[in-house]
Amino acid sequence: MAEEYVVQMKGITKVYPNGIAANQGVDLNIRRGEIHALMGENGAGKSTLMKMLFGLEQPTEGEIWVNGEKVNLSSPTVAISKGIGMVHQHFMLVPSLTVAENMVLGMVPKKSGLFIDKKKAVELTEEYSKRFNLHVDPTAKVMDIPVGMKQKVEILKALVRGAKILILDEPTAVLTTQETTELFRELVNLKKDGYTIIFISHKLNEIMEITDRMTILRGGRSMGVHNTSDVTPEVISRLMVGRDVVLKVEKDRAKPTDEVLRVRDLEYVNEWGKKMLDKVSFSVRKGEILGIAGVEGNGQKELVDMLFHLNTPNSGTVTVNGENIIGLSQRDIRKKGVSLVPEDRMLYGIAGAASIQENIISDRCGDKRLNKGLLFDMKAIHEETDRLIQDYTVLCKSRDQRVDNLSGGNIQKVVVAREFSNDPCLIIADQPTRGIDVGATEFIRKKLVELSRSGIAVLLVSADLNEVMELSDSLIVMYGGKIAAYFEETDDLTDSVMGEYMLGLNHQTPDEIRRVCHE
Amino acid sequence: MNKKRSIIFSLVRGTAAILIALAVAALLIFVSSDGAGAGEKLAQTADAMRQLLIGPAFKSSGGISVKNLSDVLAAMIPIVFTGLATCVMFSANQFNLGAEGGIMLGAFVASMVAIYAPLPPVVLPIAAILAGALAVGAMMLIPAVLKAKLGVSEMVNSLMLNYVVLYFIKYLLNSHLADKSKGQIMSYPFQAHAAIPQLIDNGSKLSWGFVVALIFVVLVYLFMYRTRWGYSIRMIGINQDFAMYSGMKVAAVVVLSQVLGGLLAGMGGGIEVLGRYTTFNWNTLPGYGWTGITVAILAGNNPAFVPLAAFFMAYLNKGCNLMSTYCGVPSQLIDILQAVIFVFFAAEQFLSGYRQKLVVKSTQEELKRAAQEAQEKGEVK
Amino acid sequence: MLDLILTPDFFFAILRITAPILFATLGAVVGEKAGVSNIGLEGIMMMSALFGSLTSYWTGSWFVGLLVALIVGVLEALLMGFFAFNLKTDIILTGIAVNMIGSGGTLFLVKVITNITEGKPLASTTSLITAVNQIPSWNIPLIKDIPVVGDVLSGHSILTYIAFLLVFLTWVLLYKTPLGLNIRSVGENPNAAASVGVSVLKVKYIAIGFSGLMAGFGGAFMSMYYAMGWSLDMVAGRGFIALAAQAMGGGEPLGSMLSALVFGFAQALSIKVSSKGIDSNLVTPIPYLVTILGLVVFALVLRSKVKRQHSAAALKEAEKK
Repeated sequence: MAEEYVVQMKGITKVYPNGIAANQGVDLNIRRGEIHALMGENGAGKSTLMKMLFGLEQPTEGEIWVNGEKVNLSSPTVAISKGIGMVHQHFMLVPSLTVAENMVLGMVPKKSGLFIDKKKAVELTEEYSKRFNLHVDPTAKVMDIPVGMKQKVEILKALVRGAKILILDEPTAVLTTQETTELFRELVNLKKDGYTIIFISHKLNEIMEITDRMTILRGGRSMGVHNTSDVTPEVISRLMVGRDVVLKVEKDRAKPTDEVLRVRDLEYVNEWGKKMLDKVSFSVRKGEILGIAGVEGNGQKELVDMLFHLNTPNSGTVTVNGENIIGLSQRDIRKKGVSLVPEDRMLYGIAGAASIQENIISDRCGDKRLNKGLLFDMKAIHEETDRLIQDYTVLCKSRDQRVDNLSGGNIQKVVVAREFSNDPCLIIADQPTRGIDVGATEFIRKKLVELSRSGIAVLLVSADLNEVMELSDSLIVMYGGKIAAYFEETDDLTDSVMGEYMLGLNHQTPDEIRRVCHE
Repeated sequence: MNKKRSIIFSLVRGTAAILIALAVAALLIFVSSDGAGAGEKLAQTADAMRQLLIGPAFKSSGGISVKNLSDVLAAMIPIVFTGLATCVMFSANQFNLGAEGGIMLGAFVASMVAIYAPLPPVVLPIAAILAGALAVGAMMLIPAVLKAKLGVSEMVNSLMLNYVVLYFIKYLLNSHLADKSKGQIMSYPFQAHAAIPQLIDNGSKLSWGFVVALIFVVLVYLFMYRTRWGYSIRMIGINQDFAMYSGMKVAAVVVLSQVLGGLLAGMGGGIEVLGRYTTFNWNTLPGYGWTGITVAILAGNNPAFVPLAAFFMAYLNKGCNLMSTYCGVPSQLIDILQAVIFVFFAAEQFLSGYRQKLVVKSTQEELKRAAQEAQEKGEVK
Repeated sequence: MLDLILTPDFFFAILRITAPILFATLGAVVGEKAGVSNIGLEGIMMMSALFGSLTSYWTGSWFVGLLVALIVGVLEALLMGFFAFNLKTDIILTGIAVNMIGSGGTLFLVKVITNITEGKPLASTTSLITAVNQIPSWNIPLIKDIPVVGDVLSGHSILTYIAFLLVFLTWVLLYKTPLGLNIRSVGENPNAAASVGVSVLKVKYIAIGFSGLMAGFGGAFMSMYYAMGWSLDMVAGRGFIALAAQAMGGGEPLGSMLSALVFGFAQALSIKVSSKGIDSNLVTPIPYLVTILGLVVFALVLRSKVKRQHSAAALKEAEKK
């Protein structure tokens, strides 16, 4: 009976040096030849559990059994030797090296004992590429190839090292719908050939589509294992949080008024000569939430960067309430009433080692009301911080706690507490609920609706289809650096229609698109 | 991990670092002593260690040595200033190592004013010290602006500037400003009323500059933790991207932190030279800048701990000097001691196993408490 | 003035002066490629210089002296690595500590040793150790007879030739060997390297060890050829100039060699100028000033390259495609 399980993780506990208990007594059993989903909110411990299966981390307590044998996965090398391979969410590739060099890293074929046999490396790459039907260009530098190909390289890397058990960490996060379909086809093929696949995701529809069984984690503990055919998305969500998660956002109809943000003919060519923004024009009005949908990599990130001077366009205009914001410093842009919830909260959103208080006042540290002459008015600062912590339900021990000790959801709440509270006229929210727990997600979405209805213009950029469709009042779809579609109403929008525009299979006429300029 | 445990951990770690350094020192002294056999060497080592650890505070007869202690306090003055300067610069993550050249330039400029400026008493020393501070603050604009505008390494630049300053001063001293009547190379004597008055009249040169140093400790602490500029400096040091995105003027603060460091180092130079000497005769870099780095590290970049760290380093330095005088151990041992102490002190993984145990204990306690609370509230998980 | 410079002697001097800087520079290049910033090269050079010349004095053999200098360099670098990689002391601070030990520690050792061997009271400041054996020079047959070129290229110490040869060897190491692949991977994306079983720790140790080896060569060059023995402050910032050369050279072996030559030129020039009777204190800082200027120029060039991409011209190019 035990042999039916190719992987068994028993009673796994992991405590990090900073005190966070990522996993507590988790059991995970994977059957040979199945596609098994590992689900949970962020912070539930999925990634950590898989890192331990791949030898990147060591459990504080517990046992791991592979193929009926107890193992100590002390490093990726050991895990690889046991037939385990991992395809990471953030690709483990070296940009300046070629595909073939990345493939053979750590197992380089040698010429005359000392030098790299480049020809053999290329041959090996081509051989595996053909065998598994994953097309890659062996001599191209990894920094020059598209995202879909990067992922194929990652899968091939695992396969060429003899992996029979593949761990995929959020593999579809960066793929188009088309690429995702391709990926699923490849996974089904691999399953037919006897490979076992562990699939980490929190995209409920994918899990339902491709997996045989699923294990759900919550708060570092396992909530049990289920056959996919026995459950519905609502049931899964309830297991993940313990209550019915509202999948639809309650909001009244938007009544947009004056234009706040005006973007006209924005163009940008990146450092590799690729045109990332092609005459993008749109407007966002007071009282509305305009969503920007699209698969990542179609210019959304570049667009947001332009709006906050993290990058400069080659041409085009951007104004807020009639005043130009291109070329202005972030301080001046904020003075014009613009707030940004950044996509990468650890990079831009917080100073990890600083306290919650220090993080929450970072955009207003020079304000008169928080200063008494040359010195800070500590009482005022404490009051402001406490008020924000309360209003935004930030779960913490004290305002002096290090902000990176908080869970992802609470960190994001600190970020939005700051960005929403300084009386903005325009809020740009970039992937505002990515990687955070359902409770915090719900809170932030509700807040965005509330603020928009109070007269603030909200620009929502999200790769989460559900989010961008439910939360937005109107939305535009970006494809290839252009606006492919503008939908004034989102009520009757279906996934398949969205898919067509997101993949470039369909494109509205210029007249239809121009409606988003509201001129 | 709660606050109490984390303080205990820091103390244990600091003590361990110091003990290791002392062990290294003892070993070196043992190996280099010229006794005949192991027994004699051990006795000499013990002697030397006694001078090192107890000498600065106590006379050989057993009573407290006020002279030695006041020597230690006097030696603190320059390194409090370079320590503060380094704290400010390191807090902004600027690895500007120019406090070394800075303190020398500050001393030189202050000396020039002290010799030649026709100013009345009280005004003269203050003007001299201010001139020294401003000169070094201005000099720090070079690595600071180049870093802020062009991203050039402030570390390499400041290191190069140290050498440039040294030779520039040596040139001026050699050619134009030296008092040729003396055997050594030195400047003309300062005007008598340029000297900073002494706190204790026992030859320790413990001047009122000590009080000024302590005042600046308070001022710099308030600046770093209670003003928006100090806050910007610290935030930029933690995450520069975050600071920029939050609207802080990163370039300006990068420059500010280094210029401030320069002002403090320059001030230290002026106070040291007017409080201790009657003429300017430094012809090599004095080493206060490097000690200042050790002080900043021991103080955790927090100005409040600078006096303690500076006292500790000055105490050890005095001990090494005593060892050199009475036991023949070269005084350069202090450099080795410094390096060992701060390299262990700044090692995050030093005693990490011990820290991990403390953390796990803390977490388990918290979980137990939380579980108890939940049970009391009647929720069964 | 020009006639001072355009002599074979002057070019010979450039190569001779560049060699120790070049060693340290190559050490910095390989280190940085692995993501290891070794600012302790200066201190390691000082230690190697001392141990090398002392050993050669005691054993009477330059070869043994050189060997010891190299071993000391590697060991000191590996110790640095232990603190930086295992104990997680910030590597910049570790480098500063190494420099402190390099300057204070060498003087300490010198005072102790001179006391022991010569029975004199402790030296108060610097002391000179005369090495009986210096690193030999090589008069290359055939080449040495070519007019002008021969005077420039022949007759250098063998270490000088090794230094320039190492530029090529370093390039081969980085781009043609599996170790070089690992080094570049660890420097660019250590997670990627770790995930395929490359030991990031081992590679970093090798890289820092290599930089220590190079610093060992540089130190030996200083005390056993450039000067006749060890003296305080003899390395005089070459370890730091090497960092600048690495930066200016874009982190590549060839570019960094060219940058190192620029500094060699500046120093050779300053020596020539001082021989005209100008105060040495005015002339000695010239290489340091050149370093600052060099870094500025490099940064400006880099900046204009980035600007060019963003102009409308780049836009037009993209449209043409």
